[in-house]
Amino acid sequence: MALTFRGGMHVDDHKNTRRCKIETLPPPALVSLPMSQHIGAHCVPCVKVGDTVLKGQVIGQVESGLGCPVHASVSGRVKAIKEINAANGMKIVNVIIENDGCNTIDPSIQPYPKRIQDITTEEIIEIVRRAGISGMGGATFPTYAKIQSALGKVQHLIVNCAECEPYITANHRLLLENPAAVINGVKILMRALGLRKAEIAVEDNKLDAINKLEQHLVGSDIISVKVMKTKYPQGDERQLIYALKGVELPTGQLPADVGCVIFNAETCYAVFDAVAHGMPLIERTVTVDGDCIKTPKNLRVPLGTPYIDLINYCGGLRAQPKKIVNGGPMMGMAQWDIEAPVTKGTSAILVFSEKNDLHYNLPEACIRCGRCVKNCPMHLMPNYLATFSKAEHFDEAEQFGVMSCVECGTCSYNCPGQVPIVQYIRKTKTHINNVRRAQQAALAASKKETAAAPVPPAASVSAAKEMQAPEPKSENKEASSK
Amino acid sequence: MTDKEKDTAAAAAPASDAAPAAEPAAKEKKAIDPHAMLTVSTSPHIKSPDTTRSIMIDVLIALLPSCIWGVYAFGPRSVSLLLIAVICAVGFEALYQFIMKKRITVTDCSAAVTGLLVGMNLPSTAPLWIPIIGAFFAIVVVKQLYGGIGKNFMNPALAARAFLMLAWPNAMTASPQPFTTSSMFSVSVDSADIVASATPMQLLKTGTIPDNGIFNMLLGAKAGTIGEVSTLLLIAGGIYLLVRRVITWHIPVSYLATVALISYLFPQNAAERLEFVACEIICGGLMLGAVFMATDYATTPITANGRLLFGVGCGLITMFIRYFGGYNEGVTFAILIMNTLVWYIDNLTKPKRFGGVPNNGK
Repeated sequence: MALTFRGGMHVDDHKNTRRCKIETLPPPALVSLPMSQHIGAHCVPCVKVGDTVLKGQVIGQVESGLGCPVHASVSGRVKAIKEINAANGMKIVNVIIENDGCNTIDPSIQPYPKRIQDITTEEIIEIVRRAGISGMGGATFPTYAKIQSALGKVQHLIVNCAECEPYITANHRLLLENPAAVINGVKILMRALGLRKAEIAVEDNKLDAINKLEQHLVGSDIISVKVMKTKYPQGDERQLIYALKGVELPTGQLPADVGCVIFNAETCYAVFDAVAHGMPLIERTVTVDGDCIKTPKNLRVPLGTPYIDLINYCGGLRAQPKKIVNGGPMMGMAQWDIEAPVTKGTSAILVFSEKNDLHYNLPEACIRCGRCVKNCPMHLMPNYLATFSKAEHFDEAEQFGVMSCVECGTCSYNCPGQVPIVQYIRKTKTHINNVRRAQQAALAASKKETAAAPVPPAASVSAAKEMQAPEPKSENKEASSK
Repeated sequence: MTDKEKDTAAAAAPASDAAPAAEPAAKEKKAIDPHAMLTVSTSPHIKSPDTTRSIMIDVLIALLPSCIWGVYAFGPRSVSLLLIAVICAVGFEALYQFIMKKRITVTDCSAAVTGLLVGMNLPSTAPLWIPIIGAFFAIVVVKQLYGGIGKNFMNPALAARAFLMLAWPNAMTASPQPFTTSSMFSVSVDSADIVASATPMQLLKTGTIPDNGIFNMLLGAKAGTIGEVSTLLLIAGGIYLLVRRVITWHIPVSYLATVALISYLFPQNAAERLEFVACEIICGGLMLGAVFMATDYATTPITANGRLLFGVGCGLITMFIRYFGGYNEGVTFAILIMNTLVWYIDNLTKPKRFGGVPNNGK
């Protein structure tokens, strides 16, 4: 029996590329490397315009806080360093490197001098950090930080290869073509975390990959392959943990809080590459698909390659593109620019024509069919959340659990009334988060006051409760004058 | 921004080897411009093909066999009643939306479904103006005045039926026996055409099992409204809707089970207990109500447990009216009463949130 969770639904999976071998993209003439490809602090470029850089050389360093470095994915000359509008609306500094075509690898890239059995946890964390590895499933959380935060807390290592998003087959192909590297990556992570067991979770629409893994794992009882039911969003951390362990991850907590740590299959591959070959994260597997692509393919691509190079390699466009998505169609991010670069989180590039927006012009009206409620993996009532959000009744939306929403998009996908449910929910979540942040800031400010000025604690609490700006502000002035 | 775009475009153009090769090929057709304006919206970027319209068309398909039987059993006059009801429902909706300067949404077919249900709830002897008033009440008063599709709190077709029953009880309760023909366009029906005899529901009220034979009644050879008589075809329609996942099993099953249980435990006629149970289910408008009326999306609970509760409530009230009420049939009022409780049932049966209640960010 395939493992699964309650809720969710099968989305037409369009895995057109399931039989497409991973091809290596010819080196692009130009790569544009954003200095922020992960959650956390932005990197600061450590090269100058005109510098010659080698493949694998560090070009962006994190100066403080959470983050991981960015490496040159080709050898060549730094052509420009400039701010570019990223898909999320932020301006991000990009280092643009002109490829010299020599593929000169930085000489410092060497296999780690110790045998895997002798490497310590700290060393692995340091290798992973220096290699700039961040989660490659899409959320791009720096992997070294994940290992650090999981140390000593977790008992279960789960490798996420559910790949429940339609279209994407990058992980599937990786498991088929390079299972040994992934398995070795898992072993390295197990060693780092001091764990004796690991599970690789694969949806049952990838039976060939499951067989392949099992062949490689014959006689080994430390890594097991778990067959998951093909259902969206099976690859969501919460649903995965529930399916495997029967534990519901409480809202606002991390997998480590229930003793689990989850890595994407490609992340494991990158970890293996970093430890075994010293190679930092400078390329990744990308599925190129969508109804505008002539021949959908899986490609091994240097980071920073503009989308259009990949599209052209796949035979170019066969219809006028209307939407370009970075990642899966259910949770990926629409791009405004066909020149946007592949980043560490780009698992797929999907190019859709206007045919994809068939229902775009239909009127929006909830008919209360209940599909959103039936399919919500978080067991919410999305129709009411949408109604409250539309009316800006944020309190009621919060009572109905809007903050538990994982924004998987199942509700919007299914809605016959064309209500953009998850979009409404995002609006409300953003609003509530902003309010909370303001409250916390006010609270922190008033706490500082109490620390600085001899105000009785009860008064400070009431000040914190009132929260709205004027009072703390005036106190602030007093404090600074003192 | 445009400058930057040009910058990157200019930089990339000589770079990509494949681009010049691909572009002429693309230009052969409609000159694909890879740099044309793109839609940037938040996920999800794909959409299931289901629409309100596809669901409503499924409901129409599911209702059709029963309508055809009604026409076969009660003669061509039923056709005109059904057609008038459908046309008027669609017309009133379009007219209302036109007058109120709203987007006209009759193409979603929901008005057609309502109209058809209004027609199916009429006896074939009803005057031809009855469906016009019924459609007006259902569409304008019950549906549009409360905000249109999905916002009405009562089932429009049933509310119309209730209104017509209260306003013109004689016209609405004079159910003819099947296979007594009346001309298609006759405005009023000659009373000679109606074979005066008690309807099955009237007999059941007194504890008498109708002598039509259970199988005949299952097939639809019994007195009643146009659409309610053919239990078998209504069940077939319900199965179609279940297979197409338009409805879930919860309401029909819990509704029918409640009615069956009560009539089994407290039969009006203890001697023929099982026959009595069968008649309670087959005879009146229960099957039409349970499968098509009580499963109307807008006016029923949205959670699975809520739907079970709703079905049980409908069953209890139906049997209460059938046993103790002034009417022979209780389906209409049972469903309407339960309609008004939907918000409370939804609240009562809120699903347990995955991961429990959030800790409010503390």
